[in-house]
Amino acid sequence: MRRRTLLQSIAGVFVARPLVDLQGASQASAAVPDLTTANVAALHAVGEVVLPASIGERARRDAVEKFVAWVRNYKTGADRGHGYGASTLSAPTGPSPALQYPAQFAALDAQAASQGAASFAALPLDKRRAVVETLLNTPQPVNRLPARPTGANLIADVMGFYFTGADAQNLAYNAEINRDSCRSLDGSDRAPAPLGGGRG
Amino acid sequence: MARYEADVVIIGGGITAAMVAQKLSEVRPQASVIVVEAGKRLFDFENRFEYRQRNLDYGENLWPGDFIADQNARGIISRTQAVGGSALHWGGVCNRFSEEDTRLKSMYGLAVDWPIEWADLEKHYCEAEKRLGVSGEPSPLKEDWRSEPYPMPAMTSTFNLKELKTWAEQSGIPFWTTPQAKNTVEGYGGRGKCRRCNTCEICPTGARYSPDWTFKQLLDARKIQLHDQTLIRRLVLDPATTRIAAATGAREDGGDDNVEYRARTFVLASGYTWSPHLLLASANSRFPNGLANSSDHVGRYMTGHLAFQTTIDLNLKIYPGMNEQHSLISRQFFRCRPDQPYVRHDLRVWENAGGRAPSMRDGAGKLLLGDALIADWRTRLTRGTARVRGYFDVHPDKDSRLTLDPANKNRWGDPMPVVQHKTDAATQARTAATRQHFEQLFAQLAKANDGKMGNVSGLNYQDHPAGGCRMGTDPSTSVVDSHGRTHDHENLFVVGSPTMPTGGCTNGTLTFVALALRSATEIASVR
Repeated sequence: MRRRTLLQSIAGVFVARPLVDLQGASQASAAVPDLTTANVAALHAVGEVVLPASIGERARRDAVEKFVAWVRNYKTGADRGHGYGASTLSAPTGPSPALQYPAQFAALDAQAASQGAASFAALPLDKRRAVVETLLNTPQPVNRLPARPTGANLIADVMGFYFTGADAQNLAYNAEINRDSCRSLDGSDRAPAPLGGGRG
Repeated sequence: MARYEADVVIIGGGITAAMVAQKLSEVRPQASVIVVEAGKRLFDFENRFEYRQRNLDYGENLWPGDFIADQNARGIISRTQAVGGSALHWGGVCNRFSEEDTRLKSMYGLAVDWPIEWADLEKHYCEAEKRLGVSGEPSPLKEDWRSEPYPMPAMTSTFNLKELKTWAEQSGIPFWTTPQAKNTVEGYGGRGKCRRCNTCEICPTGARYSPDWTFKQLLDARKIQLHDQTLIRRLVLDPATTRIAAATGAREDGGDDNVEYRARTFVLASGYTWSPHLLLASANSRFPNGLANSSDHVGRYMTGHLAFQTTIDLNLKIYPGMNEQHSLISRQFFRCRPDQPYVRHDLRVWENAGGRAPSMRDGAGKLLLGDALIADWRTRLTRGTARVRGYFDVHPDKDSRLTLDPANKNRWGDPMPVVQHKTDAATQARTAATRQHFEQLFAQLAKANDGKMGNVSGLNYQDHPAGGCRMGTDPSTSVVDSHGRTHDHENLFVVGSPTMPTGGCTNGTLTFVALALRSATEIASVR
């Protein structure tokens, strides 16, 4: 019962909140914390729960490292240009989603501590899975994979980053589509080769 | 005040300016040409892979800084103001109009005829295709005759497009691939071959034509001068004649009216918004309604085309992302029998990922993680999705207008333009029938493959906008002649999209360029 209460408390940290505060964007930029070694370890521990085991340990670690790189290379206040079909300029990019991560990392570790572990990454896989499921189901269920990280829910951000990406699409189709890569025209008249080599 | 003088001053730095400058440099190599562009030059080709990647990863602007914040027109569809213009973001589609577009009055009693023969325009289409580097598959319809082959072989039909073509033609409608200004051979125009980067709005390999290439080549060969970040604010009339004496403006780094250009010929190549805007903003005591506007037609008959679109869920497997911007086209509906209800349109089919996205939860709302999410996703990938769209012909009312908005001014205090499209009464009367036609057509396509048609929606803006300085033979009902020469000022030309009386029913860029090249021949002949 105590554990359930603590999980619900932690879940509150993961609740979506307004991300874009353009007036405060520049100040926010200066205060963006880097991901620590412990944070990255926690992300890998999340990845082991939410990313497909079928891609293998190395590919899962690569996926998390790409997420880490994305967070580190985020630019606040970047020009987002203008869409087609409208006369307005898009608002610049808002504050880094990473601003909302420290509290969420702390909550993950607090949950681990309540179960006698030194960190979230130190929890056994089944217990990490239970925490992850709680944080995606309560207090409000996360129903959509974010197309880009928003900061509202760290776990959903990791999932969205991978599952909306080209590697996950290849996996789902079992095909080397590589939609975000530059590829030769040659052979494009045939179905993409299946993953793992060879053309079907 | 900085003063410059040239034989020809081209105002605007987009695709039509590039084409006119290039042609002038060939036809009149001894003529001095200055191109003046309000935005900046973005010639950092080496950075385009990074820009592309930042856009994919973070949604950042593909062309950083390609706009001027206070040149804030309302009712337009693109804010691009940079050397290269809107064509920086261009998808490269190079469809031709059809003869019907130039004979609407004669054939259907609608709108107006263009003051140009189709054979003449066709010749300039060929020239435009060569200069832009178009790869294409000829239309099988005899009405779409061509006097010359496409400069390059058609883009490879991906597996997806081949599957979609097989499906779509089961409906009885012929389809083929869309011509594009993209290299299918290495080195055409000094540019690389397409590598299916899937981001044609910025082509990191240079395979898709972009006007900055032409400007860079002309500058490297010292054939033109390019003054970027220089906003022309006024055209100044010669006090004794109706000729244009000067163009005055301001540079980003200077104060008011700190630059003046004098030339024998001025060419307005600033597109459908900024060309009529400059004419209206240059009003004086002799032309109180604006230059070139004794007919009161500058900023009128703003045109373009509308569209209906849908997605169709199909009983076939495709792999979204193989070459998403390449499409199928049918031109079967460019023609409309005069004894039938009027509807003319193109018909396009693209691969699409609609309805095939990964989901956080299954149909019962259960959370999905890892391989369970992939397994759920795969249940939606056994079928495919096509996006289908038709641009259809609409005709402008005289009160389809670009006007000056005194409440919206730039830093110099100049009123900015506002565009408000209005279709003519005949177009409005056809609205319901046009929608019904598309709903039946899309249903016909869907039926050909156990398909399920999605919602049919329409565009909420006119695409490929044009007009505002329409061409014609009668100076009382038009602004320029068929070559773009203004009726009121013998040394002032308007080129490209603003001169079009009607907007056709397919992508307009190739036609803008063909018309501009035809104008360039006339401009070159001015001594």
